[in-house]
This record gives sequence, structure tokens and C-alpha cells, in this order.
Amino acid sequence: MRSKKRFSKFLTFFSVIAALMLVLAGCGGSGGESKSSDQITIDIMQVKVEFNSQFKELAKIYEKENPGVKINITSVGGGTDYLSQLKTKFASGDEPTIFSLSGPVEVEQFKDKIVDLSETKAAELALEGTLDAVTTEDGQVIGLPYNLEGYGLIYNKNVFEKAGINAEEILTYEDLEKAVKTLNSKKEELGIEAVFALPGKEKWVMSNHLANVYLAPEFNHSVLEAWNSPTVAFEKSDEFKRMLDLQAKYSIQPVLNLDYSQQVEQYFSLESVAMIQQGNWVYPSIYQMDSDFAENSIGMIPIPAEGLEGHLPVGVPNYWAVNSNKDEKTIQAAKDFLDWMYTSETGKDYVLNEFKFIPAYGGYDADQISDPLSKTVYEYSEAGKTIGWVFSGYPVSWEPDTFGPNIQKYLDGKMSWDELIEDSIVSWEKLKK
Amino acid sequence: MQNKSVTFWLFLTPVLLSLSLVVIVPLLLGVFYSFTNWDGLTFTQFVGFENYIQIFQNDSFINALWFTTKFTIACVILLNITGLGLALLVTRNLKSKNFLRTVFFMPNLIGGLILGFIWQFIFINVFDFVGRMLGQEWLLGWLSNETTGFWGLVILMVWQMAGYIMIIYIAYLESVPQELVEASEIDGATSFQKLRYVIFPLVRPAFTVSMFLTLSNSFKIYDQNLSLTNGGPYDSTQMLAMDIVRTAFESNQMALGEAKAVIFFLIVAAIALTQVYYNKKREVEV
Repeated sequence: MRSKKRFSKFLTFFSVIAALMLVLAGCGGSGGESKSSDQITIDIMQVKVEFNSQFKELAKIYEKENPGVKINITSVGGGTDYLSQLKTKFASGDEPTIFSLSGPVEVEQFKDKIVDLSETKAAELALEGTLDAVTTEDGQVIGLPYNLEGYGLIYNKNVFEKAGINAEEILTYEDLEKAVKTLNSKKEELGIEAVFALPGKEKWVMSNHLANVYLAPEFNHSVLEAWNSPTVAFEKSDEFKRMLDLQAKYSIQPVLNLDYSQQVEQYFSLESVAMIQQGNWVYPSIYQMDSDFAENSIGMIPIPAEGLEGHLPVGVPNYWAVNSNKDEKTIQAAKDFLDWMYTSETGKDYVLNEFKFIPAYGGYDADQISDPLSKTVYEYSEAGKTIGWVFSGYPVSWEPDTFGPNIQKYLDGKMSWDELIEDSIVSWEKLKK
Repeated sequence: MQNKSVTFWLFLTPVLLSLSLVVIVPLLLGVFYSFTNWDGLTFTQFVGFENYIQIFQNDSFINALWFTTKFTIACVILLNITGLGLALLVTRNLKSKNFLRTVFFMPNLIGGLILGFIWQFIFINVFDFVGRMLGQEWLLGWLSNETTGFWGLVILMVWQMAGYIMIIYIAYLESVPQELVEASEIDGATSFQKLRYVIFPLVRPAFTVSMFLTLSNSFKIYDQNLSLTNGGPYDSTQMLAMDIVRTAFESNQMALGEAKAVIFFLIVAAIALTQVYYNKKREVEV
């Protein structure tokens, strides 16, 4: 008797829940489908929050010029948050028209949902090499580059001058080592605490950026080749080691305690170190700390690598992709907008002066690039003296879980260099099986 | 009777609904996905226990589990000693006892993330400065290796939660009947004997409560871990919750992350159920 009653209560419980869920589901499904048919809406979801407000301004201008089009922009910062939000959007059916992806790993996950963009004007004008990572085997272009970014050794011109070193002449490792030793011996005179600030806390600085210089040649500078490679050889492991050792030895100590903001803001911007290994993206931070110093006293030189002297690692951090689940008209409108942004005069002006992008497309006036680091990057890429970014082709989770921690273990003396290389190779092969 | 049942369910519905939407359904989905190759968007096949096997083939989860266990043990011991010590201090006849209670409880009101960043500054900059001034080697380079990272986390956790545990002990200490204490004094008990044979037996339920509170809180810690060490150096101070988040959202192995979360859930549930069991037992006794 009692158990029967219990059972019926149980049943009521579930039927109530089931009924309510149905009601809720009904609500969700019926809403939102009542837009007028001649209005085209482009929903954009993208990862670069730094230029969110400028991007929205540009979209407003476009809406004014093209009355039938409405553009909604959502920017989600931080690589991990963005990707999970994008997935949620796709899973819930509220899919964006244009979204950003950051290389083959993410492209792979979304490749069934992306349209071919090879017919667009922007794709034609894209600088050589910038489309490699998003070109499929059958020649489809499934992404358009945002911009270019590059990194190297950013140095303090005042300190170098005082020490009597000409940074432009540093090409080989030997040159650099000599310069570093000179700087180190004159530390007090120059008013610096150390030559480098190597942020050992930030795995990516070492395992993505630094390692890339020495891994790129074995993958022919192609991110896709890296992505498809079943193994990694570390052919230039010795060069990689001595460069890492050099930075670690002459850095602020302990390196494993240094993070990105200490490296860029506390030590470099306040002129406590002579050099840091970073990219053009640090410019706004340095500018905020000391605008005069940023404008006049910093420069960037390539990280020396044998056979690649005077080459700077330049790559595309993010790509635009257009959703193939949308109807023909919306897809066309999305393509038009991207074309307009990168090829029209208004768009170009915004890309250069408001977004402060290093353009990944031809037809831009390089003199208009205002900050010295970006200018250096553009000059190297125009001259074709670049090293490809292969690190976004590392196997998923290889860098954060294995390679990066291994380098930190090496710096802490918990792992020998040979173990580091061997373990990282084994892990790459395991992940690529 | 029928009527009562309808209103009964009507009033219960909002709770049941929200509970099922945010707890039960996601939990079941999570368990379901842990048996597939789900990548956050779609899944193509069931893989059985493969995700669970993979967890134990990879070091990261085991390391995190071991580190979390060590951390929990250290925290439970230190937290209870500090909490009880503070409680004994502020239940004495001190003029400033109300002020002290507030001060000791205060860290608990600050969010874990902010605390982590504050202590990061203390460990790295202040410790370094003091260490250099006094020539104390051991104060240099905190958080740059596993040992200091571990103790840094323990110190942070103890500093934050000791005040909370103190409050629990205070509640029990104040309910100790004064007659008993006085009687023991008349019998000539020393302060230690008073503590050991009169007060401790009477505040024993507080031990159980505090024990499990500290146990489950230390085990589930994430934000302090994130802001203080972020798992570094080389993931040696990465705890379970952080390992799960990283697997799912950084390495994008959603299904594997789900499987780890299920194991994590089972461990936490085991702790919680033990807690309930012991508390029930206690209730009968008192």
C-alpha cells in the first residue's frame, strides 16, 4: 500500500516536470522567427575584444551605406571562453553568420559549417602565405585573415646606444651573445637590472613563439604541414636550447615567477631590462606606461636562427569564416561586408588607423602604420623575409599539457634537455596517432 | 487529500524545475557524454569506457588527484588547529574580542580570485623584499617551484577559511555550560586539563562539522588555485577542478573532461555522504 502511494507520487513528480519542460521547449521554439524578409541580418561573433568599439563603428557606417543590412557584433575575449561560447551558439541553433577561428585546429572542428571564400576580392588581395592555413586540398579558401602579427626581440634603443651596440647589426646567435655579454657587464652603468626578462610563467612565450623559430624550417614554414605531420624531429634542438639558456641566464630571476605583465610593463616599460622576446601586440601596453618611450625608443630585431638570419616570424592570429548554414542572400551579404572592410577606402582607413592592424592584404599604404613595432613587422613581411607560424598546427593539447610544462621543468632543473625533447616527441606522436 | 496533493506539487514545482534544469539534467547529460566522443558540438559514436581508461593512462589527472589530496590533508589539519586556536582566543575575557572576531572573519568575505592575486603579490614581491633585507634565503622565489607553490596555496586557504571555522567553534564553545567549567576548577583542574577533559568532549560535534566543511572545500578549490599559481610551474600545482576545466576548454577534449568530472563528482559525493552519515550518528547521541 505504502509503496504504491510512493510510486504514484513519483509518477506525479515526473509528469509535472515533463509537462513543464514541454511548455518551456515550446516557448523557446516559437520565439524569434518573425523578422521581415527583405532585411538581412549579419550576426558576427569574434574573439578580438581589443578593437570591439572601433569595429562596431565601422559596422554602423556600413549599415548606413547599405540600408537593407543589419550587423550585430558579439566579441568574446580569451581564446578558451570564445571557443566554448561559439560551440554553445552552434549547439543551441542561434548560429552567427560570420565567426572567427584561429588556425587549423579550430577550422578542423568547424569545417563542415564554413563556405568557400575564394571568389571574394579580399581573398585575391590577401598577401602571399596568409591563406595557406585555411586553403583546403581542393583549393577552397575557408577563411580570411584578420591581420598580421609578428614577434622578435624588442629592445630599448637608449640602452643599446649607451652600450655602443648597433641592434641592426645583430644577425647571428654569436652577435647576439656578444651584445648580451656587453650589456650584462655594463649593467650598473646602463641602469638596468638584467638584460632579458624571460616570463617563465607564460608557457606560450617559450613553447609557441620561441620554439616556432626553430621548428618552422622542418615543416617548411607551413602550419598545415605541421598539423598533418605524424611526428616532430626537433632538428634545431641545439639552437633552441642555447637561445633559451641565453635568455634564462641573463634574465631577471627567478624566471619561473615572471609573467607577461611583469615582463612587458614592470621591467621593459620601466626600462629595467634591455630586451624582451615579444610581439607587436605589446605596443599599446608600453604606450600606456610611457608614450614617449614607446614612440621613440623601442625597436624589434629577429630572433637569430641559422639559415634564417634577418627573418621575422610573422603570422595570422585569426581568420574570418562564414557560416554555410545560412541562406544564399545572407551569405552573399556577409561576403560583401568582409570585402568592403578590407578593400574599400573607408574600410582600409579603419583597418589601419582605427583597428591599428598590420594589414594582411595588398594595396595598403605602409607609411600610415604609426607604431614602430607594427611597421617593422609589415616591412619584413613585404620583403618576404618571414618565418611561418607553425605553432597553431601543434597537436591539440600538446603545448599546454606537455611541451610547455616540459620547458618549465627544464628551467627548474627537474628535467634534462634530452628528456624534454624525447618526451615531447613521444607525446606528439601519441596525439597524432 | 487529492487537493492537498495538488497544492503540494504546485508549490514544489519551481524548486523541482530549477533543480532538474540546472542540476539533474546536466548531470545526466554529462554522464552520458562521458561515454561518447563528444567534442562540444556533436558526437559520432559511443566509446564505452575509453575516456575513463584514458584518464588513468595520462599523468595529469593522477598528479592533480595526488596534489589535491596532499593539499586537503594539510588544509584540514591546519585549518582546524588555527580555527580552534582563534576561537579559544576570542572566547576568553578580552576587551577586544568582538573586534578580533570581525578581523579574523574578514578574509572570508573577500572573493577567492582577489585573495589569490593579493597573496601572489605578497609571496612574490613582499617575501622577496623581506628575504633580501634579512638575508633569509628561504623567502626568495616563492611560487616558482612545487613546494612553495603548495605551501603558498595552503597558507592562502588557511588564512581565508580559518575565520569561518572559528565561528563554528565559537558557537559550540559558548554553549559549554559554565557550571561544568567551574566545577572542574573547584576540583583543581589545570587549564590544560579543563580543556582536555571538559571542553573538548563538549565541542566534539564541532570537530565533525568543521572537519567535513574543510575537507570538501579544500577538495573543490578552483579560484584560489587559478589566481595564485594558475597550476604552474609546469602544472605541478594543478588541482582536480583546474585539470578538468583545462581538459575540457583548453585542450578541447570535452568528453574526456566530462569523464574526469564524473570521477570528481563521485569522490566529492562520497565525502558528502560520509559527512551526512556521521552527522546523523552524532544527532542520535546528543
